[in-house]
Amino acid sequence: MLTTNCPSSLSTPPILWRYRPGKLRRAMARRLACLAIAGAFCLTTCSAALGQTATKPAAPNHARSVLGFEDLKNNENCAVEVTAGAIRLKGEKATVEVATSSINDVLTGDDSARLVGGFLGTLTMFAPYSSGRFLSLFRKKLDTLTIEYRDVQGGIHGGILAMKPGLAATLKKQLVDAGAHTSVPIEDPAKPAATPSGGAASSKNSEKKS
Amino acid sequence: MTTRKSIRALFSLLLIAGAGAVVRAQDKPVRQPAPHAIQILKIESSEIKLPPAFQMAIYERALEEVKKTGIFAEIYRDGDGRAAGAADHVILHTDVRGFTKGSARERQVITVAGKTSIKVHMQVVNQDGKVLLEKDIEGKVRFLGENMRATFDLAKKIAHTLKDNFQKPAPATKS
Repeated sequence: MLTTNCPSSLSTPPILWRYRPGKLRRAMARRLACLAIAGAFCLTTCSAALGQTATKPAAPNHARSVLGFEDLKNNENCAVEVTAGAIRLKGEKATVEVATSSINDVLTGDDSARLVGGFLGTLTMFAPYSSGRFLSLFRKKLDTLTIEYRDVQGGIHGGILAMKPGLAATLKKQLVDAGAHTSVPIEDPAKPAATPSGGAASSKNSEKKS
Repeated sequence: MTTRKSIRALFSLLLIAGAGAVVRAQDKPVRQPAPHAIQILKIESSEIKLPPAFQMAIYERALEEVKKTGIFAEIYRDGDGRAAGAADHVILHTDVRGFTKGSARERQVITVAGKTSIKVHMQVVNQDGKVLLEKDIEGKVRFLGENMRATFDLAKKIAHTLKDNFQKPAPATKS
């Protein structure tokens, strides 16, 4: 007698679920979870980006020292304070003080950076379905302030600070008012510059450039 | 028959690779003894408008990278008063010849687009003004990283060129 393994068409389940239904369901669930996470992340990052452009702090109290300041690590966040005759950058472990009289030039610029940066940003490269690339679409604008100054021996140093947009011009104005030189004249900002907060910080590791 | 053909193809590939290695070895310049000190001057960008942050980043990173090579006993910055008194020293001039600002977003999303490149002409002269080394170098960031990373690549290449052309003097033997 001839027998067949094929079930009748009425009792056959849909072709998607006929073979390994558990695996397919798991894959679908995983995909949905990934999409939900990516969606939630997008919402938070978009709201953060919008919030960043909407609120503009009055004075640059904090900046990121990109490079060029001795004793401060590259890309270290530091507190910025402009006093009567110097700019003081206070990092986690060290403080750098540059006298404004030794500053040859202060120049502003602009840059951008990934919204999700650092170690987490690197991890997103391995995220599934190229969601790391998708997150690269979201970037934040930055202002840069390049400070060219001379040390005791007369050697030229170049320090770069990165800060929130719109703050570099304010900081530049403060520095020029305190006695720094600049090759590019300051454009009048729309808002008047505010004085930075914070008292005189002292540190054991402070380095004074003259 | 096919085995013989594949052996012949493999042999020709090996020959090409060997010839390439020989040519590369011949291209390598003869290293001259390194002077005691080097003074690295600030990057000049008279013709090309290079953002000031990039200009300073190249200068600072070049100082760091040259220091890492360990070829020169003393490294002086531009304007350092001690350099004038140094007996045996050379001066590194760097002039920007080309700059293409790419887009980090394009690089990260599309991968093959948005390249940033900085082309410079480096020149090492001695105290008499004699040119000891001259080369065009390009620093670029093609796939990963922010635009500023091109300055790091360029500084590394400057240091590498110096390392290829100058030999660290042998330490004095104790008698």
